[in-house]
Amino acid sequence: MMKEIHFALYAIKKNIQSSAELRTSFLTNIVGMAINNTAFIIIWVFFVKSVGVINGWTAADIIGLLGFGVLSYGIVFSAAAGIRKLADYVAGGGFDRFMLSPKNLLMRVATSSFNVSALGDIVFGLACLVIYGLLVQVSFAQIFSIALLVLISVVVFLAAAIAAYSASFLFADANSVTSGLFELFTTPSLFHGGAFQGATRLVFTFLIPSLVVGALPVEIVKNVSLEQFAVVGIVAVVWFFLSLKLFSWGVKKYESTNFMTFGN
Amino acid sequence: MKAIRLGNKIVRTLVRDRMYYPDRLIVDTFGIIVRCGVLLVLYWYVFSLNDGMINNTTYIVAAWSMFFYFAFSVFRLRDISRAIMQDVQSGNVEILFSKPVSYLSYRMWWQVGAGLYPFLVISLVGTIALALIVGLPATMSVGIFIPTVVLVVFLGTLLSLFLYAVVGLLAFWIEDINPVFWIVDKTVMILGGSYLPVALFPDFMYKIALWSPFGASQFITHTVYETWATEWVMKIGIQVFWVLVVAIIVSVLFAKAREKVSVNGG
Repeated sequence: MMKEIHFALYAIKKNIQSSAELRTSFLTNIVGMAINNTAFIIIWVFFVKSVGVINGWTAADIIGLLGFGVLSYGIVFSAAAGIRKLADYVAGGGFDRFMLSPKNLLMRVATSSFNVSALGDIVFGLACLVIYGLLVQVSFAQIFSIALLVLISVVVFLAAAIAAYSASFLFADANSVTSGLFELFTTPSLFHGGAFQGATRLVFTFLIPSLVVGALPVEIVKNVSLEQFAVVGIVAVVWFFLSLKLFSWGVKKYESTNFMTFGN
Repeated sequence: MKAIRLGNKIVRTLVRDRMYYPDRLIVDTFGIIVRCGVLLVLYWYVFSLNDGMINNTTYIVAAWSMFFYFAFSVFRLRDISRAIMQDVQSGNVEILFSKPVSYLSYRMWWQVGAGLYPFLVISLVGTIALALIVGLPATMSVGIFIPTVVLVVFLGTLLSLFLYAVVGLLAFWIEDINPVFWIVDKTVMILGGSYLPVALFPDFMYKIALWSPFGASQFITHTVYETWATEWVMKIGIQVFWVLVVAIIVSVLFAKAREKVSVNGG
């Protein structure tokens, strides 16, 4: 296992070094993505100004929500951007070269690509969490909670990405389908958390774990509760193992369409 | 005349292609249910908390305004930016420049053809579904509604194509246009009234949406408000103005871009 992690870290390092070669593009992507993300803050802050506080959610909480959501997105897609290319790999036969590799298949696919703009997400997410911390004046216990909840968000985000992109094995040209499935997860994760009540809250916590990425962590930080911690922790673990199962099941369904491009 | 015949051929071929392979339509429908559907549920809850009225706007009007934004986005006109960038990065632009057709008009026709079928189907099905679920606002039964909507969609299509073509043409000067694309796209998203309907905009933001080309490209979202009956002439005038201005910018940029390319054949 340690060997696999060591290999993954090595691959991520090489991916970053390779992307950084195009310095101007590298920097403009990071800055551009950070500016791009502020659009969501503008929208939801004006939303709060127009409709008022809903179920205790203030503008500061929206910043926290985006902090958790965007940071976990950034971490997952800077380290494991290859997952998003799974549909292309399967459709083009490129998946064969990963199967021939002696390394862990999922880890090899995940670290096969790097998304520069995801670094902009990390910068933006961290800035949001720092601003959120200052606005709500977090205690030491809350800082510890935030760190732990970021870890849970990352696990859920990774699990959702693996689960959605595992659909690549089921369709001939699955790019649009997998993107649609993943959007089903990501879109509500950036929505105002206070507006999810009743049935929608249950659906988007357990069936599609969008709220576990941002809305629930913000509510836990506001009122640190072990029960809620346990719920998001269990959802994260269940979804992670479920996604691994889906991936393995999908791989068994895989039929090669390779064009003899083992080395590319 | 030749250019129109070519455009007509491209659009018809792509529409047939989309009809034959309905996967994209299914995905687009799925996407609009996800984004717009979830948003409509949330706004329904928010409006019910505020006794059905926010900023003198009812839920029905806000729902239709947001639906129009998402239905128009299915047209995927913004994809022209990335199509141009890919042509430049792959060198395909050299081949297309040597053809006896205008590269830009070819790309624009292609974009219209690729998005027309899902746009029409989703708009029609969505309109029926939304009318059955939330009902029709009174503003949609006014006589000028349908003709002005058609005009606004036509002008919005032109303006969107020109705006995103400007972004795409930047690929001739910068290696990666994505950061510029994101900023323009999100500006259109905010000022177009996607997640926050224009009626809920603060005053200064509404003015920016009204007078900028980014907001003007999405005036379709303004058509369901009561003010449309009195403001449609002005808003269509603003759209026409921006279409002309951005078209001039596109042609100047395109002429400069052509000078930068040397087609060597081979």
